[in-house]
Amino acid sequence: MANPIKPDRSVITTCAYCGVGCGFKAETYQGRVVRMIPWKEGKANHGHSCVKGRFAFDYYQHPDRVRTPLIRRSIEEPWREVGWDEAIRHAASELRRIQAKYGKKSVGAVSSSRCTNEEIFLVQKLARAVLGNNNIDNCARICHSPTQFGLSATVGWGAASQHFDSILQADVIMVVGANPTEGHPVFGSLIKRRVRQGATLIVIDPRHTETVDSAHCRATVHLALRPGTNVAVLDSIAHVIVREGLFNERFVRDRCEWDEFEGWSALVSSDRYAPERIGPEAGIAAEDIRRAARLYAGGPNSAIYYGLGVTEHSQGSTGVMCLGNLALACGMLGREGVGVNPLRGQGNVQGGSCLGSWPHVFSGYRFVTDPDVRGSFERDWGVTLDDEPGLRLPNMFDAALTGHFRGMYIMGEDPVQSDPNQQHVIAAMRNMECVVLQDLFLNETSRYAHVFLPGSSSLEKEGTFTSAERRVNRVRKVVEPLAGHQDWEIVVKLMNALGYPAQYAHAGEILDEIARLSPAYKGLSFALLDRIGSAQWPCDENAPEGTEVLHKVSFPRANGRGTFMLTEYVPTVERISDRYPLLLTTGRILSQYNVGTQTRRTANSLWHPEDLLEIHSEDAKSRGIADGELVTVTSKFGSTRLRAKFSQRVNPGIVYTTFHHAQSKANVLTSDLSDWATNCPEYKVTAVEVARVAAPQERAAACRNETAAVEEATA
Amino acid sequence: MMTAELAYPEAMGETVLDTNRLITMANQIGDFFAPYPRARRAEGIRNHLRTYWDPRMREGLLAHIERGAEGLHPHVIEGARLLLQTDRATRGYYGPPKA
Repeated sequence: MANPIKPDRSVITTCAYCGVGCGFKAETYQGRVVRMIPWKEGKANHGHSCVKGRFAFDYYQHPDRVRTPLIRRSIEEPWREVGWDEAIRHAASELRRIQAKYGKKSVGAVSSSRCTNEEIFLVQKLARAVLGNNNIDNCARICHSPTQFGLSATVGWGAASQHFDSILQADVIMVVGANPTEGHPVFGSLIKRRVRQGATLIVIDPRHTETVDSAHCRATVHLALRPGTNVAVLDSIAHVIVREGLFNERFVRDRCEWDEFEGWSALVSSDRYAPERIGPEAGIAAEDIRRAARLYAGGPNSAIYYGLGVTEHSQGSTGVMCLGNLALACGMLGREGVGVNPLRGQGNVQGGSCLGSWPHVFSGYRFVTDPDVRGSFERDWGVTLDDEPGLRLPNMFDAALTGHFRGMYIMGEDPVQSDPNQQHVIAAMRNMECVVLQDLFLNETSRYAHVFLPGSSSLEKEGTFTSAERRVNRVRKVVEPLAGHQDWEIVVKLMNALGYPAQYAHAGEILDEIARLSPAYKGLSFALLDRIGSAQWPCDENAPEGTEVLHKVSFPRANGRGTFMLTEYVPTVERISDRYPLLLTTGRILSQYNVGTQTRRTANSLWHPEDLLEIHSEDAKSRGIADGELVTVTSKFGSTRLRAKFSQRVNPGIVYTTFHHAQSKANVLTSDLSDWATNCPEYKVTAVEVARVAAPQERAAACRNETAAVEEATA
Repeated sequence: MMTAELAYPEAMGETVLDTNRLITMANQIGDFFAPYPRARRAEGIRNHLRTYWDPRMREGLLAHIERGAEGLHPHVIEGARLLLQTDRATRGYYGPPKA
């Protein structure tokens, strides 16, 4: 093997793994990536990195990569290798055939937060302008859609109010339903740094995460609440703030809608949200709720960072509103060191949200039902657009089961593995007549696909990502696309085959179109980003190099004022019972990434070869389970096997697992319950029972299979 | 093709989503707006259904209301019925329901 010490080329690009958006120098030798060096000028990482961005890049040339388009008439048949023209022609004619037979709205598209802004924008253009309906969604549906809804409702924009470095001026840091040390490691380090400098840390999370207690980082208050009680606990914190008069009246009067504040404070100050009532229900001490409330309101600078532990609930959007309400009531918005900030899971979740990959809004979160907004797109695209909202991703599956939805174009997603209630999703996929899947690998969803278009990794394309701090970073082509085309080029081919004359000389022209049609992205271009490195939206004539802190003078709402939503606690219907007495919740580990499609195909799997079920020794012993033993986990919806790991990180009554490996099938267990506003699935609360795997010989066989699977994954 | 296994080989079900699913979703929306005064509560439900639901889902819900509205909370019925008053419709908005 050639010594990789002396690369012959170096390209500055952006890591695609999480929403931090670290800058890297991708160094190549003879056309192959040999190392990823964290870039000192990267505005999010300042030369730092984690073990995913730094080491997990080899997946791009893994033997599993598909290099040729594939088609087949039915999912029972083997795949047939074909040329690009035939695959695209086949996909287009199938989608049109289905529309002719079942109606214009019988097909749709899904894009991914692993793809660039330009690609995400093009896929929604394909759905709206070419397929002629608004059946377009993206994977933020199943993670951060409540963020868009809840923050738009209270502060006006569904995005982080701050830049990451703002935390270095925070006095109190409140982390809710997130584990940045594992999930967003480079930002997690920044939190630790600020805590070492003396900031107070409050963590609201069912698990004793590494953020709660690890080297260099200890929470002053940890509310280890029972999964599903977020809204009750956040309302109880608000209760203390209102009852004890700790809110910032001047800020509320000057910057917010006072009437709505009064309505909200009447609701939360009700006796039913007293810590003495909520504490026992949530499994935490009333005094800890009071301490958290006093610390947060006391600031002087308090900043909220939250993750999927807030959003992935039947009251996910309400939980996000609770955070918006709290920040407004305490005046913790509009300057450095404060704010409400979602930590985004994938590299481009924020971009996915911004760029109109939603059935109800165009780019910039503007409704498809608004004739003025729709008119601007109709003029630019030269077609008449559907004026009604389309189907959301879970609704597409629901509609497939009633026969109303028959065809789907999926770019860079694996819904069979990542979406909840797997049996339901598989039944829906089987009901479709044509599934066109564009991905790097034959993933779980490919079993139900009819056309496979081999896509390109983020190392093989030009474009931009928008990170969790609204920072638009350049993604640059480091190596040639293995299957010949960047993903946006494949979308253009499909648009053309469907009869729409799209043409772009390079990805930068798509960003120009985005800028033309989206106010917050107005000033962005490849030229600007190549000149200044990156820019946070809004970027326009008032802020030609972008905006670090939002809401300094006013909120982006019609009257410029922040507002309060009534956030009544409605317990989820998913509850423990005699049959399913434990609550399962899920999360991530440092070395792996989401469903693991990429990281499992790198040596990072040596660190995390399998998903484990964390269980308190008390719960394990009462079931006769030994540490390290294989167990069956069963919910109302299905059953899977995992290896038990005794853990002090979960309280009795709670079990926890990661979902990085397909064979763990965590989503066989999850329910079809979802957020009231957005249908974001309730991944974080599932009632389960855990039992020893019965017969010893069965267990031995399972062990052998597990070992084989691990070897395969790490090979 | 494997149409033999399809639940609806050629035809389509009566509603775009199973009616029980629509009822669950509509009641969840109703639960959120429940704390608002009556007129705002109804308007909040209307605005949400109008801006976020595929028109066929709204039609399915309204058809179920016509058939007796079994399983739906009364204030959800009230809010959904506002969808029929298209002359009073306002543009979609984020934020608290308007009176």
